[in-house]
Amino acid sequence: MRDVSVIGAGMVRFGKQPDKTLAEIAWPAVKQAIDDAGVSKPEIEAAWCGTALGGMMSGQRILKAVGLTGLPIVNVENACSSSSSAFREAWIAVAGGLYDVALVIGVEKLTRFGGGTLPLEREDFEVAHGMTMPALYGMRAKRYMHDYGLTPEQLAMVAVKAHDHGALNEDAQYRNRITVDEVMAARPIADPFTLLHCCPSGDGAAALVIAADSVAGRYSGKPVRVLASELASGKYMTGFRDMTTPEITVRGAKKAYEMAGVGPEDVDVAEVHDAFTIAELLYYEALGFCERGDAAGLLEDGETSLGGRIPVNPSGGLLSKGHPIGATGAAQMVEIVRQLRGECGGRQVEGARVGLTHCTGGGISGFDHGACSIHIFRN
Amino acid sequence: MSETVHAEPPLIAGAAVRMEEDGRPTLIGSECADCATRIFPPTALCPECMGEEMSPVPLGRSGRLYSYCTVHVAPRGWSVPYIAGYVDLPEGVRVFTHVVDAAERQLSMEMEVELTTAILGTDGDGEAFSSYAFRPRQPVSDDA
Ligand SMILES: [Zn+2]
Repeated sequence: MRDVSVIGAGMVRFGKQPDKTLAEIAWPAVKQAIDDAGVSKPEIEAAWCGTALGGMMSGQRILKAVGLTGLPIVNVENACSSSSSAFREAWIAVAGGLYDVALVIGVEKLTRFGGGTLPLEREDFEVAHGMTMPALYGMRAKRYMHDYGLTPEQLAMVAVKAHDHGALNEDAQYRNRITVDEVMAARPIADPFTLLHCCPSGDGAAALVIAADSVAGRYSGKPVRVLASELASGKYMTGFRDMTTPEITVRGAKKAYEMAGVGPEDVDVAEVHDAFTIAELLYYEALGFCERGDAAGLLEDGETSLGGRIPVNPSGGLLSKGHPIGATGAAQMVEIVRQLRGECGGRQVEGARVGLTHCTGGGISGFDHGACSIHIFRN
Repeated sequence: MSETVHAEPPLIAGAAVRMEEDGRPTLIGSECADCATRIFPPTALCPECMGEEMSPVPLGRSGRLYSYCTVHVAPRGWSVPYIAGYVDLPEGVRVFTHVVDAAERQLSMEMEVELTTAILGTDGDGEAFSSYAFRPRQPVSDDA
């Protein structure tokens, strides 16, 4: 396999854009990534587009607007991991030598579904019995609180930190700072979560151009090397499982660290899948940033805030930046690429060398999650 | 709720629940003839060994509450708020369920719960539907 780098990154501010089509939402991110890379359109040999609910031929509809057509375009659906999975497919093709330059898009338009919880697959038995994503994470949170003594105030602090970071990101859907009291007093969604414990619904897009290292020098002044590109599906278990540890992330992180030749202690900055407050804490532990049961302490000590030992979600994360499902994985990568290039201004993690993205989701009975994709980058 | 002469609202759980002659529900899983894997809801294919000889197996009527939370926002049709939970049955099967006849503050982790049925919402035509549910096995106090 050849070494591969990200040479271009672009995204649009996440938010509600009900009057725009999917292509209108996405093309500015694609154009920005192409311009950032400094490639000419004919040099892009293939494209992968990740979207969970964008509908048929999303990639073609977007690239029609950009005038990038005729090349192989593959549309990828893997719930929240759609565009991180799309990135991995592009990475495989470039690392394998099939193409030198490829484009990855992540896009979603959730405003087409109205508000409320994410529409889940009705054929699933638990969904048909009233399972919702907030309920699933709520049960994880309640059990974790029982087993490890996590308090509601500590849980609320995850949202406070996310908004503190998001306030510094012009691409974030929510840029307001909030307090623990405000989090706890917001409208209840699924105990122990109020609205501010849950990522918002919205629209958005992000895009990346990747290239084989052998040609990357031709285009970008600051290529960011892909050290690991990992994807796992959940393990179906018919019996009991410990809901306080996400086995798919534990398993995937081990593989990703092995592939990258680094460990959790080497990670300078991470974007993790904080769809709900409890999720971020579970992922501190699953990704090895702290031991089981120590996540709240890591947060309270400020270690995962900007200026701490391992800043997590400097972009604001899903909670503040937003979570247009299929766009999230690519947007996490855009943030890490910009962090590793030192372009993040007020939310820059000083001296960041190694960055990690973690994107997981897909509520299916009997699975921890349907999919999880972890990437590790170095400047 | 008062007794009515109407038929019980239809159960939405399909083959996963069976109503006994005494009016009590039984959850039905399936068991693989080849590897003895037990699974809920029932399936035609064993996910462990791909055996197709799956026979219906009645599951125990009581278990322990692994976790639970009150759901305030749900898709249209569900009567909110409701309590969602996971119940671990003695057969080694975990069942997603609604928890009824108690408020969340009256529940606790690993509490013993037993099977019942309950009206859980209304369908698109405004007709009530029901399904299996679990409730605390011991009476709960109002001032808990
Ligand atoms: Zn079997």
